[in-house]
Amino acid sequence: MYSSLVISQSDGRPMYLQIMEQIKQRVAVGEWARGDEIPSIRQLAVALRVSVITVKRAYLELEREGVIVTQHGKGSMVAHDPDLSPRLYEQELTEHLDHAARLGALLGLRPDELTSRLKRAAQRLIKEHV
Amino acid sequence: MNSISVQFEGVGKHYPDFTLDNISFELPTGSILGFIGPNGAGKSTTIRILMGLIHQDQGAVRVLGHSMPEEQAAAKLDIGFVSEDMRLYGAATVGWHMEFIRSIYPRWDQPYAASLLHRFDIKPQQKIRGLSHGQRVKAALLLALARRPRLLVLDEPTTGLDPVARQEVLGELMAVLADEERTILFSSHNTLDVEQISDQIMFIDRGRIIDSDDKESFLDRWRRLRLVLSPDAVLPRFSGIVGVGGSGLLPVLTTNCFEPRMVSECRNMGAIVQAVDTMTLEEIFVANVQSRREGNLV
Amino acid sequence: MNAAMVKRLIVKDWYLQRVVIIGSLVAGALSLAVIGLGGKPGFILGLILLVTVLIGVGAQLAVATMVFERKEQTLSFVMSLPISYKEYTASKILGNLIIFLVVWLTLLCGSLGAIAISPDKPFGLVPFVAIMATEILVSTCLIYTVALTTEHQGWTIGAIITGNLALNGIGYYVAHIASIARGMEGHSVQWSPAASTLLAAEFVLIVLMLGFTFLFQSRKKDFI
Repeated sequence: MYSSLVISQSDGRPMYLQIMEQIKQRVAVGEWARGDEIPSIRQLAVALRVSVITVKRAYLELEREGVIVTQHGKGSMVAHDPDLSPRLYEQELTEHLDHAARLGALLGLRPDELTSRLKRAAQRLIKEHV
Repeated sequence: MNSISVQFEGVGKHYPDFTLDNISFELPTGSILGFIGPNGAGKSTTIRILMGLIHQDQGAVRVLGHSMPEEQAAAKLDIGFVSEDMRLYGAATVGWHMEFIRSIYPRWDQPYAASLLHRFDIKPQQKIRGLSHGQRVKAALLLALARRPRLLVLDEPTTGLDPVARQEVLGELMAVLADEERTILFSSHNTLDVEQISDQIMFIDRGRIIDSDDKESFLDRWRRLRLVLSPDAVLPRFSGIVGVGGSGLLPVLTTNCFEPRMVSECRNMGAIVQAVDTMTLEEIFVANVQSRREGNLV
Repeated sequence: MNAAMVKRLIVKDWYLQRVVIIGSLVAGALSLAVIGLGGKPGFILGLILLVTVLIGVGAQLAVATMVFERKEQTLSFVMSLPISYKEYTASKILGNLIIFLVVWLTLLCGSLGAIAISPDKPFGLVPFVAIMATEILVSTCLIYTVALTTEHQGWTIGAIITGNLALNGIGYYVAHIASIARGMEGHSVQWSPAASTLLAAEFVLIVLMLGFTFLFQSRKKDFI
């Protein structure tokens, strides 16, 4: 089940971030349920053919964010935190907004123009889902 | 249980035209060390000293608790070694080699050997002479893996392999690491392989270890800052910058000890920070070697 | 010294050189048959054949097992095994010497047997035969010493040539030592002091060369 994580070498982001993101997604969509045991660092490293230290780092960061809980000698599991899913994308949204702001600046857009384009994008998404 | 599998302390070796100088490092049990360096930098010499095949002029080498080269016979009972220049006996078959190695190593794992044969697509009745380069490398690797060594030492194991064979080999190396008591040291000039599976990384150039750290710290420390300068601004200068590239108004700074304060320092000096790029291991390696050779880093 | 490892290495070399080994044993047997055919021509022809086989197998095996190990880059495979220079050197010398001694003893026994069954019983030849047979052993040990310590084909061929020249030179020299030459014509074995000294010197030389080989190998700092 965990070998279904796909790590990309051409994705510019560090591998540990990719692993974190994909685990968060698994948790967000409920594939990895709260309280579920998750693979050990070594198991996941072997399955992904990625170094142990990279997976260890991803787990440490996920633990710090409260996504997973690691108990010594017992392995790791998904945290019982009920607010888990919505909180996961907070940081990613900030990053994307920063990126949009940078692109906007490159295109010479004023802040209010940027806001209105964001509004339009949001409305488009709502329409598509209806 | 000894938690350090390989230990070098101030190891040196002098040749008329090459010197391996003051090599020191430790390899913890259960991890993979990727050893990177240009051709002729001293990777093979270091590895041969580790194996006791070359005797160091000074310094101490301990491998799996054994002092090298004196106790090499005992140490090598637990080591699987494959080097790029190692050849098997051309006139003999793969099966004969397997039988030979099996007679020597008590932990030889026949079912594992059989499954490796299958996965590597090699037949025991094939003569070594009739194998392709990739198959020969995989045959040598099979002989090293199936003896279930506590330490795998691989000198350029993926050189000359096609992409499929490379991934197979990397996959088998990772599978070895599923057991926490096993340790791998492998050298490569293919930084992609090293970046993918290594825990520890060591750079060597011109007979000296120029940098060594765990991989995550390595990737975290190195950043490229893309700046935009106004015509009257001066190039920000502060410690930790090991290289300056780009053009006059669009400089690119390379640092090996990135901290977020660097971005604010650049801004304070009147520069616009356009981007802070992470770097691949290959870029880090090249930047590292260049800056050392230029004397920016000592 | 790990005797089991030495044995495995010897068996490995024998297996890899099985064609040469079996070939030389067959050729040795054929030479004996020629000697057995009787008559002086048969004796001389068989002896020449046997000496040729002996020198051939000594040189061929030494080059194939000692020099080619490096040349064919199998040395790093062998040295990655749980052995030190001691096991490696011992396996090479013993493995080669055992095969060589089989053919060598065949030669020695064949020649002595031929002397014994010859109608005019030329037992006076025995010291000469012993000295010459041992000389061939000396020449072969010289090849081992040079092949193992240099692992270089050129030097080894040099040693082979030197050994052959020495064989002829010493043959001539020994046959012209008055005390030995006198005895050769006789019908009984006569060990002159010169003959005993020569034979002893040859054995000392063999021990010295093999001892030097082990000493040199133990001081080698770069095995690959």
